[in-house]
Amino acid sequence: MTLSLDIPRLETDRLILRGPEAADFDPLCAFLMDPVRSAGFGTEKTRSDAWRWFAVNIGHWALHGYGYFTIEMKDTGEAAGISGIWNPEGWPEPEVGWVVFDRYEGLGIAHEAATCARDWAYTTLGFTTLTSNIVPGNTRSVALAERMGAWFERSYDNVHMGAEMLYRHPGPDSLAEGAA
Amino acid sequence: MSFALHIPQLETERLILRGYDPARDFDRLADFFTSEGSRFFLGPADRYGAWRLACCFVGHWVERGYGLFAIEEKSTGDFTGMVGPWAAETWPEPELAYLLMEDKGGRGYATEAALCARNYIYYDLGWATVASAIEPENTGSIKVAERLGATLDYEHPLPNGGIIHYYRHPGPEALQ
Repeated sequence: MTLSLDIPRLETDRLILRGPEAADFDPLCAFLMDPVRSAGFGTEKTRSDAWRWFAVNIGHWALHGYGYFTIEMKDTGEAAGISGIWNPEGWPEPEVGWVVFDRYEGLGIAHEAATCARDWAYTTLGFTTLTSNIVPGNTRSVALAERMGAWFERSYDNVHMGAEMLYRHPGPDSLAEGAA
Repeated sequence: MSFALHIPQLETERLILRGYDPARDFDRLADFFTSEGSRFFLGPADRYGAWRLACCFVGHWVERGYGLFAIEEKSTGDFTGMVGPWAAETWPEPELAYLLMEDKGGRGYATEAALCARNYIYYDLGWATVASAIEPENTGSIKVAERLGATLDYEHPLPNGGIIHYYRHPGPEALQ
């Protein structure tokens, strides 16, 4: 069998969203092993576990045709976070997710990246709806979801994260109307 | 980024070693990883954890250019286990890993599959040496390693406080 990956390179004003590369692992690992910063995402205890998550994401791309992009800063080339579409076994439905690494908070990067990833899922993958699962208390992510036009739909028990709030994003049709 | 990697299909007398196929393999893989039988193989986990491992197996091929094959039983087409070269980040060296579904034990399948994967490691990947990392209590896997001519080489401490034993396989020259 042939294992193929075809990860596009997307651009926004300040960012490039691209496939994960080996050099992205160190900043991602620092984030995943930081229990405070990764609390809303899922913390990995060891570098070995964090590498496994890195490989999981690549496998997710290969098996689903989508996954988390690396967010690269156009001006410096540095990895600033990850954003993309995520759909593990047991998830209620595919979600758009975002993470911004230390030093890149407060710059609107997550909003710019997640909006780009959502547009790509609607226009290229043909998704008609998307959610974001947010751990209660993660007010920054709630604020971002709301800024993207998403609304709280229900609470549920996530197989990995426990209690989570499911936010529903506006679909492609209503976003197109809004833009018109 | 575009990437394509051919995963070869290998054959033994009773088994096929091929790329992981979630549609055919995931349910049985998940049954294994949610059972106590997976305690020496990163388990037990829930179905989400099993899915993560399956994705990780696939991502490993992309990152390393090699990885675990799914083992299929020729006579039934059943997913029977995973076998192949594996290089986890931070572990001392790449290894020949093998795991067998519990309902396919006792038939010499693990030995047959691991022998085939070891030949692939030596003659296709060109490695000069390989070991298998086995927990000291995992007597089933130790027996397979010994049947393959591997011997205890060294022990390595695990982050969780345990230890793992590296069984060194005979090298390609010794097998000639």
